[in-house]
Amino acid sequence: MVEVRYDSVTKRYENGFEAVKDLNLEIKDGEFLVLLGPSGCGKSTTLRMLAGLEDVSEGSIMIDGAKVTDLPPGARGLGMVFQSYALYPHMTIAENLSFGLRMVKGEGRLADDEIVKRVQETAKLMELEDQLDKKPKQLSGGQRQRVALGRGLIRQPKVLLMDEPLSNLDAELRHQMRTEIRRLHETLGTTTVYVTHDQIEAMTLADRIAILDEGELQQHGAPLDVYNNPSNDFVKGFLCKHIDEIVETANNLFPKE
Amino acid sequence: MKSLSQRWYEPQEITTLRLWLPIAVGVNLLLSSIEWIREDWLSLQLSLLGAFALGVLWLVLPDGEHSWKRDVAMGKAGAVLIIGIIHYASGMQMLIDVWSTLWLTGPAAIALWWLSSPVISAWAKGTLSTQGAERGLARNKVMAPRLGAVGSHIMLMHAVFIVLLPVFWILDVAMSPGNILGGDIGVSDWTGEHFSKMLDGDSSFWIWLRNSLVVSLGTTVMGLALAVPAAYAFSRFKFGGREASMFAFLLVQMFPGIIILVPYFLVMKTLGLLNTSLGLILAYSVTALPLCVWMLKGFFDTVPRELEEAALLDGCNQFQVFWKVVLPLSLPAVAVTALFSFLAAWNEYLLALTFNTSNDMYTLPVGLASLISSTGQAWGDFAAASLLVSIPVVILFIVFQKFLIQGLSAGSVKG
Ligand SMILES: Nc1ncnc2c1ncn2[C@@H]1O[C@H](COP(=O)(O)OP(=O)(O)O)[C@@H](O)[C@H]1O
Ligand SMILES: [Mg+2]
Repeated sequence: MVEVRYDSVTKRYENGFEAVKDLNLEIKDGEFLVLLGPSGCGKSTTLRMLAGLEDVSEGSIMIDGAKVTDLPPGARGLGMVFQSYALYPHMTIAENLSFGLRMVKGEGRLADDEIVKRVQETAKLMELEDQLDKKPKQLSGGQRQRVALGRGLIRQPKVLLMDEPLSNLDAELRHQMRTEIRRLHETLGTTTVYVTHDQIEAMTLADRIAILDEGELQQHGAPLDVYNNPSNDFVKGFLCKHIDEIVETANNLFPKE
Repeated sequence: MKSLSQRWYEPQEITTLRLWLPIAVGVNLLLSSIEWIREDWLSLQLSLLGAFALGVLWLVLPDGEHSWKRDVAMGKAGAVLIIGIIHYASGMQMLIDVWSTLWLTGPAAIALWWLSSPVISAWAKGTLSTQGAERGLARNKVMAPRLGAVGSHIMLMHAVFIVLLPVFWILDVAMSPGNILGGDIGVSDWTGEHFSKMLDGDSSFWIWLRNSLVVSLGTTVMGLALAVPAAYAFSRFKFGGREASMFAFLLVQMFPGIIILVPYFLVMKTLGLLNTSLGLILAYSVTALPLCVWMLKGFFDTVPRELEEAALLDGCNQFQVFWKVVLPLSLPAVAVTALFSFLAAWNEYLLALTFNTSNDMYTLPVGLASLISSTGQAWGDFAAASLLVSIPVVILFIVFQKFLIQGLSAGSVKG
């Protein structure tokens, strides 16, 4: 039963700026939660606090009922996909995938043949079987994205974190990967927190969306619920109006009899 | 009315001549000054005359409108060719004479050849058709890189020659019998006596070499052990006094090394490190530290932070992040820094001379200098030894060449 909880979490940067203000949010087991909001609203900060890459100024974060606020990133059992992919340039794809497994010490450590097997499985899942001996530089953008996803998933994380993972891809690939990510989620059922500023991406991927603005949680709920019952003007403007405009443009372009 | 192609077309040959004739004039003027020093008056006159004629040729290069220019240019090129041939016929004494004639006859012959070609003469007279001009433009595209390559190779050959000249000279001294400096280059009968004397089993050279190796390798290891962690900390962590110490590192670079010679000496004396390799290792590491730290920090700054964050999530601690991700990516920069520290220690003279005063603690530079003492000046031995000393440096550069280029063009890490 993996469950993530933000308890009155506030993030204050060194310069005194409050990027996240008194956030209370629960992410349920197996849920795909999308953090949505305009650029600079604090989405990445929210995600990075969960990852352990930023300190929490006030409040606490629980994963699975355990307080992780002060645990190092590697101890939290998370996988993360970065916007720039952040693959290790000096390692082959296989090494990139297995790096996290090899870093495990003690009882959780897998045997070497076990690791190889896991890499094979992940490569199969991500359709990377032929790329394992290449270096990241030799792969296309879409393939790198798959490696990044595979690296996030290979440790069978409690929660998978993604920060705008598709924003470096072209429109065609972005669409393809969006479908892929949703398919993976359906297959594996990993609890996922996904950050984006793209309303359509959020609507199509999410089980639940949480909308942020200026560090404050505006509204959260199932995509259609939020769309149908916006709770304030910001959500109305940022989500509903934006989607209506897209729909209208599409209808004007392709008029129906 | 001229077509677009006709208006834009200028044969690549003419463009090339326009670029290279001034260079040829410059070289000939340079040569004439050498001939002046050598008091070779005939050559001097011929060189000056040739330079002048080449200059005129440059002025009257055809422009595609005035057809008379081509005829005058051909005449001038012919004149230069004749001057060059007279120069050649007036007697070749040294390599430099052949070379200087080539800088006259070469450009002249090429200019004559090109100016007489049908396309260029048609263009020079302004009678080239539109199709001809279009074909010419296409040909220019092909010729430009080729002529450029020839030109840059000519320049590179000159550069290599200038760089190697002193080496040949030293080689000549090293292989001439007796311990004299000067005399004619390459004339006397060659001998290996100086080399065999230096490489002899009980020659001091081996002691100096050992000392130099100990000091240089020690400096490299010590310097890196200090500079790498320091640079990483400066690049990644915020701590009190960070800016101030970075600045202090720059500041100490502003003082000439000789200022700290006396304080250094007193410190070494107090610590009992005079006449030891360790003393030099410490001094060199400290001296090289600021530059090494700045170089490495510059490179570490280019390693994307997200890479380190990914490693953190993969379960690394701070040290493992550095060891397994940042350091392997920074190898080129580390290699450059290592090479730099090594060379600085290998070549250093002043501190080594001051600190280590007994022959069995000399490093190579000090040992070499001791060959040229007030009592006896063994130039031949000195030349042989200095060639031997350069060998490791040359080998290091060849081995590290690839790294050097990567390491100096920082920011080659892409995720
Ligand atoms: N290290 C930092 N120091 C100060 N302010 C920061 C820092 N990182 C981010 N911020 C600010 O916090 C706000 C939220 O940033 P972020 O979470 O990255 O936004 P986004 O929603 O675009 O991901 C922004 O206004 C940003 O300028
Ligand atoms: Mg962001």
